[in-house]
Amino acid sequence: MIEWMNKLSISKKLAGIAFLLGVIALIIGDSSNSNAIYVNAKEMALSTIKNNEKIEASVLADWLIEGKYDYTLVDLRNEEEFSEYNIPSSYNIPVESILTSDLMRNQKILLYGNDDVASAQAWFILKSSNYKAVYILKGGLSAWKNEILFPKLDVSATPEQTAAFEKIKQVSLYFGGTPQSVSGGTATSLSTQPNAALALPKLTVPTGKIGSRTKKKKEGC
Amino acid sequence: MMPYYKFDYFGVDFGLVIAFIIGIGFGFALERGGFGNARILAAQFYFYNMRVLKVMFSAIVTAMLGLFYFSWAGWLDLSLVYNGNTYILPQVLGGFILGIGFVIGGYCPGTSVVSTSTGRTDGMVYLLGIFFGIFVFGEVFPLIENFYSSTDMGKVTLPEFLGLSHGMVVFLVVVLALGAFAAAEWAERILAKKNGRGVE
Repeated sequence: MIEWMNKLSISKKLAGIAFLLGVIALIIGDSSNSNAIYVNAKEMALSTIKNNEKIEASVLADWLIEGKYDYTLVDLRNEEEFSEYNIPSSYNIPVESILTSDLMRNQKILLYGNDDVASAQAWFILKSSNYKAVYILKGGLSAWKNEILFPKLDVSATPEQTAAFEKIKQVSLYFGGTPQSVSGGTATSLSTQPNAALALPKLTVPTGKIGSRTKKKKEGC
Repeated sequence: MMPYYKFDYFGVDFGLVIAFIIGIGFGFALERGGFGNARILAAQFYFYNMRVLKVMFSAIVTAMLGLFYFSWAGWLDLSLVYNGNTYILPQVLGGFILGIGFVIGGYCPGTSVVSTSTGRTDGMVYLLGIFFGIFVFGEVFPLIENFYSSTDMGKVTLPEFLGLSHGMVVFLVVVLALGAFAAAEWAERILAKKNGRGVE
């Protein structure tokens, strides 16, 4: 047997190895189950406790004003809600299509929905599929509305609070919001147009959508 | 876990360094395989030198077995390996044009660079032609853009398309390759006798 094998030329030996590996592959069947996910439960629980994967709305506002765009802002709501209003620079990827989107494993991803539920779901899906840096906008769009678009200042606020509110007010106006002062439950608009209705800012920039891009990707040969 | 770039083991800059090293290796392998010579490449189309078929099938089988077993061992996430969409009509036409160019010029884009680097004049002319073609393509792109992205079938892989398991496709390709090797050796012997042309 060994003598017979020694007589074979190298290319015949290689062909034999290839054939053997092919037969074993046939027995293995599928090399990996792409739908199965592997979860490091301990790591996930830890990061949930530490809360360090949540970004405050005010932090995001600062990033947008500073022009810091090293992350991809993802709007998880449906297309209709997205086209009505979205946070500037965001892309619309509904939760159900998050895995088939063009998001990269090494991208910094910041998720938001109406509240924390959808983003928590998407966060889990992405984290368990080996996405490295996934963050959640704390409180989602409702927090963005409360804290950035329509911040409230109580009339009985201390001077320190009023001073601090001045910055918030500027931020709010930057995003087209309507800061208000609150006295005994009724809110008054503080914006330049008095008594303006609390309307969501009009979208001025065409909204980006990752999901329906038709352009070919610049990858491959 | 691989692919390293997608898991952020390194950035774009270092990725380019690695691409350079792999590119040099690729070119070296092509040159050693005899692919810097237009005569050997064009001979494939007349079936009296089957070296192209043998080298290509060896490369395909090696890479395929590597990817399959790496993925099986859990070293590689195959879903992250880039796999372009299938645009059936544009790709059929593109392949046809490339094939005509291949048979006329005696090179494919990669091998023309290899032959240029070894100082062959025909390779250099071919390379100039490639750049001219790229320029023309870029200029007329707006006119053909619709066709370019038409008949999009999405990401299609053989196991999905044929409804077979991944391992089954691997096995079939190996059998196909080994059969092609055997047929190539046989055809070379027959045709070498008939044409009086030696196998290089």
